[in-house]
Amino acid sequence: MRTTSRGLIAALALTPLLAGCFAPGDDGATGGNGSQGRLRIALAIPPIQALSPYSNDATLLSKLSVAEGLTVLGKNGAAAPALAKSWKQDNATTWTFELRKAEFQDGTPLTAKSVVDALGHAGAAQPKPRVLSDVTLTAKADDADTVTLTTKSPDPVLPLRLASPALAILSAKAYAKDGTVSPVGTGSGPFVIKKLNGKTSATLDRFDGYWGGKAKAPGLDVTWIPDGTARANALRGGEADIAEWIPTSQAKLLTAGTRHVVSSVRTDSLILNTGKGMFTDPGLRAAAREAVEGTDLVDSVFGGYADPAQGLFGPAVPWAADLRVAVTGRAKAAAPARVKAETQGKTLRLAAITNRAELPEAATVLQQRLEKAGFTVKLDVREYTQMEAGLLAGRYDALVFSRVTLLDTGDAVAYLASDFTSDGVYNIARLKDAGVDKAIRAAAAESDTERRHQKIMKAEAEILRTDAVVPLVHERVVQGVAADVEGVVLDPRERSLVDLDTHLK
Amino acid sequence: MAVAHLPAARPYTGRLAAGRALAGAALLAAVATLPWLSGSDPARTVLRARSADVDPTPAQLAAVREQLGLDEGPWAHLAHWLGGLPRGDAGVSWVSGAPVMPQVGTALSVSLTLMLGAFAVTALVAGLVCARTVFLGARRRLRQDRAGATAAVLASLPKFLLASVLATVFGVWWGWFPSSGWEGPQSMLLPSLALGIPSGAMLGGMLDQALPAAFHEPWARTAYAVGLPPGRIAQGALRRTLPGILPQLLPTVVALVGGAVAVEKIFNIPGLGRLSLDSAVAQDLPVLQTATLALVLLGVCAGIVIRALRHALLGRTLLDGALPALHRPPLTVPSSLRWITVACALVLLALVTAGLLRDPLQVDTTARLLSPSLDHPLGTDALGRDLLARLGHGALRTAGVALAVTAVSAATGLLLGLAPRASAGPTEVVSTLPAVLAGLLIAGVTGPSVWGAASAVCAVGWTPYAAQTAALLEQERASGHIAASVALGAGRLHLLRRHLLPSVVPALLRNALLRLPTTVLVLASLGFLGLGEQPPTPEWGRLLSENQPYAELAPWTVLGPAAALVVLSVLAVTASVRGRGKGA
Repeated sequence: MRTTSRGLIAALALTPLLAGCFAPGDDGATGGNGSQGRLRIALAIPPIQALSPYSNDATLLSKLSVAEGLTVLGKNGAAAPALAKSWKQDNATTWTFELRKAEFQDGTPLTAKSVVDALGHAGAAQPKPRVLSDVTLTAKADDADTVTLTTKSPDPVLPLRLASPALAILSAKAYAKDGTVSPVGTGSGPFVIKKLNGKTSATLDRFDGYWGGKAKAPGLDVTWIPDGTARANALRGGEADIAEWIPTSQAKLLTAGTRHVVSSVRTDSLILNTGKGMFTDPGLRAAAREAVEGTDLVDSVFGGYADPAQGLFGPAVPWAADLRVAVTGRAKAAAPARVKAETQGKTLRLAAITNRAELPEAATVLQQRLEKAGFTVKLDVREYTQMEAGLLAGRYDALVFSRVTLLDTGDAVAYLASDFTSDGVYNIARLKDAGVDKAIRAAAAESDTERRHQKIMKAEAEILRTDAVVPLVHERVVQGVAADVEGVVLDPRERSLVDLDTHLK
Repeated sequence: MAVAHLPAARPYTGRLAAGRALAGAALLAAVATLPWLSGSDPARTVLRARSADVDPTPAQLAAVREQLGLDEGPWAHLAHWLGGLPRGDAGVSWVSGAPVMPQVGTALSVSLTLMLGAFAVTALVAGLVCARTVFLGARRRLRQDRAGATAAVLASLPKFLLASVLATVFGVWWGWFPSSGWEGPQSMLLPSLALGIPSGAMLGGMLDQALPAAFHEPWARTAYAVGLPPGRIAQGALRRTLPGILPQLLPTVVALVGGAVAVEKIFNIPGLGRLSLDSAVAQDLPVLQTATLALVLLGVCAGIVIRALRHALLGRTLLDGALPALHRPPLTVPSSLRWITVACALVLLALVTAGLLRDPLQVDTTARLLSPSLDHPLGTDALGRDLLARLGHGALRTAGVALAVTAVSAATGLLLGLAPRASAGPTEVVSTLPAVLAGLLIAGVTGPSVWGAASAVCAVGWTPYAAQTAALLEQERASGHIAASVALGAGRLHLLRRHLLPSVVPALLRNALLRLPTTVLVLASLGFLGLGEQPPTPEWGRLLSENQPYAELAPWTVLGPAAALVVLSVLAVTASVRGRGKGA
């Protein structure tokens, strides 16, 4: 008796739960295209602010070809036309952009006014997008398809800056009164977002009115799978056609044809705290560098999916290798006996973050090397957010860190300035070196691309001279692409993935 | 301590409700003040969560601070959040700016569904584990005690490892089920199995130990003598023993709603565990508070339902104080038991001795992921470290800390369970609280520390024991011999020592030993907060979690530690059975 009634209650309670409790997305929101030829994509980082371009989600908009800026980064790292078909610099602070004839996904046309509005909203966003943090930008519509941009101080990399996904131009409908921005159905790219299900999935259809032609794939079904192993499983199990960022531990399990490797602009390095503790001594820094240099991390920890460090900028920065400047004037490394004597009773606090699985492993390898050089090392491995404040306050002697060297400006100076100048906001090394400051300032002021690159590489040599940072490896990204998919964009900057040409064979 | 002789189930709803409200309020207050307790600026974590590569300049931080109203302090914020709740408005997420209620609602319903699936598997596995005892007991053929090794083996399987294996084998290799996602009933099976098998084995193991006493009662003999079918006798025995086990559902199964983070990650399930962990790491207080509130309410509701079920099963006998006490019959200890115990002890001993002779920290990048060989009997890990050495060196620390934590938790649980009226509320509230949340609170107050992980696990780990003690005591107090002792002039202390504790402690011990492996894993899961031993110190839980990504590429990296954990657990359980056998 009792069992039956309890079973009945349980069954009654279960039915509505089961009906409503699976992730939404099965309710036929595929726009009537059916699933023929649609690409199933497994992405790693779920949208944090409903795809707002002023957050982390901005790269998703460019990865999925939903929204565009005035310019786009070309293969060689230079700015190429996107919504602007051409531009010219009038004087040091003024630029004129000619817009192309294009249409937003909601049917409204692209006008100079929409560009002025979009850039205005980006400038007013709180907190400010990274790309606008060091520039004040004013936009003015000259006529229906000409926009004049003025910066407060000369900005030689403005066209590069405008390629940032955070400065995507959306239709007027996207900008709500309360300051939120929604790219759902308001972009101008070849794919239009039809539906966004929280942090789980999104449905995108082809936008037939795209100025650049019709995309080959009829639509995209995006799922966010934060766990790397689960992403690899989804590809291997045939549940996804494209899975980005396969962790090195899983890469070997992928069949050879589905494994696509691309050099990334991320460089992993050992950062030494020059402002506080034992590494204020250049001799000890040099000893640490010599201990660490030549460690074979590429084939061990990274399983071959990395390039040995050549400097701060790796093979993904195409111009870096040719312009590299030899490092001179380094301090002489202290011998192990001197290291032991000088660090008597002091422990080297080596921090590593867990956010990338390889970093703690690399830290363990480095720990052994450093101990051989005479240091006493204690590891501290934690989630990044758990230690950021401590890092910036200089509570560690050294940090194993992974850093994007071309930030969203696509320009290397931004990274150098924030990480290595005396007043840099992300100066974990607490480096205060007049030579470095001067070199970075010189690079920042240079407007000629070629000479700018030269000066950046000079600054790199200056920074490496101080031994504040010891580059370890340049990361490579493994993208999982099923054998029957063609035309996936392998982008070192991790900004593009799917474009007009991506399709199922 | 309320050990007086009372008709056990006298309603004390008022005090219970007060206890629940107080515990819930204390927990919510602790969560609401988390950033202020820890001194880590929420503006920083929120900014980071919104945009990974943005530089935390003072101006940007000030902008976030102003946007979130952080300068008003925790209480203004808490009051505002509470004020919105009656309207069903839990505010907006600090990170995403989206309303909190729908997010938490969706995640909760997903997690509840998963929990129900896990519950079904738990019930099934528990049934299988004690099937033999039920079958034999109902036919009065129960002579031998059981070692409980099967239950111990299954209960010590790490859930995340089980999940990885299931996803790989059934999802990727055979393609029978989706390897990840949450898109329909077919997505439910694998995660439910991963969560349910260890839980089922744990509950089944406890039930299996309680059953012989029920079959030993006079009514069972009578029923058998008059020829009642075995099914009826089994039903009676279950009805007699289940009330003692039911409270374990709360910390074992219901707690999975918030505490299945690892499995949710592996199967990419958008559940409450992941949501609350993410929001806790980003210090997204509105989401974290609402998720905590949901867990608290869930714990309380489940507690009420379980209480009602228990009372329904026990019926009037409990109210009338006419419940006979359960006493285990003298069963012979099976001879295989000794061999199992000795073998496990020898294996562990060999492991430790062999391991201690080797270097657990020697990194050799040319020898990574080597399969077992003469040089490396258990193979090497991703950094070329010898796994045997790491297991051996980690054994004492792992077993020691886990035993200490379990002992403290069990003792705390026992003490609190002795005062059921005061502790019922807190037990329900804390039961569903994930250890990670306790870890974050503790890491916030003390900063990273070796003992932080142990304290965090102790802080939430006592609930199963408190629930068990309270349930068993309630039944024990309702038994006739207590009334007789009181009539004969027994004092409180005498009652406690001679009657109450002896009836509770063996079951408690079994529970604690079955939970030992889980404790090891939970301790290791707090490492990312900087709690517990830092790497590269070898420790079994860490060995399992750091080698988990290599489970398919180099299975030996996880098989060794998992097997060691199983052996430890079997040794503990069988040794306790032997101890009991000798004592009887």
